[in-house]
Amino acid sequence: MRVYEELFIVRPDATDEEIDPLLDQLAGVIKASGGNVEKTEKWGVRRLAYRVQKRNEGNYILLQFSSGPETVREIERRLRVSDLVLKFITVRIDEKLKRIEKRKKAREERAARRPAPQASAPATPVLPAEPAAPMPGAPEPRE
Amino acid sequence: MAETKGGRPVAASQRPTGGDKAIAAKKQYFRRKKVCRFCVEKIDDINYKDVKLLGAFISERGKITPRRITGVCAPHQRRLSEAIKQARNIALLPFAAKL
Repeated sequence: MRVYEELFIVRPDATDEEIDPLLDQLAGVIKASGGNVEKTEKWGVRRLAYRVQKRNEGNYILLQFSSGPETVREIERRLRVSDLVLKFITVRIDEKLKRIEKRKKAREERAARRPAPQASAPATPVLPAEPAAPMPGAPEPRE
Repeated sequence: MAETKGGRPVAASQRPTGGDKAIAAKKQYFRRKKVCRFCVEKIDDINYKDVKLLGAFISERGKITPRRITGVCAPHQRRLSEAIKQARNIALLPFAAKL
């Protein structure tokens, strides 16, 4: 089982009544193959960085799910067929998540270990580690 | 003729001033050491969805800014360029921006 992230752009003029069946359909495909939908996010209509199919705006939808690689092929096929979808990208993120988790852990361990031998500077190593955990940049502002 | 005449003095006048500056720079100007922003801020995840962060590392034209200018370390630049390319693919960032 792998974790994937599917970010796709739906026509900006598509209504929720049109989008929701598509999402349900995709969720159905994932569940039918034994996968699991972990997250669906609607970012709403955003400006595109360049014109896609003569449109300057697009409705971004993010779908995070775990499944096998065959399911991804099926999902991509469906997105390609759907005329609502302008563009999509699939990213495998399980290894990335694992790596981030590992680095975070290592950092916390280091931060926990450091204050013990050095009594003079206990506050400084702990402080920078703490704000780094929520990550100022990454996906948060999007959500 | 007029152009070449116009062109030469400009180039000639620029060269000496540039040289002067370079000499002055060598003597007194101290260049601040650039540090990798991702290392300093401890950003583990360089994500293609984070347009705000990635946007800081592309030029006006939409090109990826070289490491020698931004000071990003090599491992992070690798991740960064990958993320920028993914973001371009899904129209979050431009391939080429109009000026």
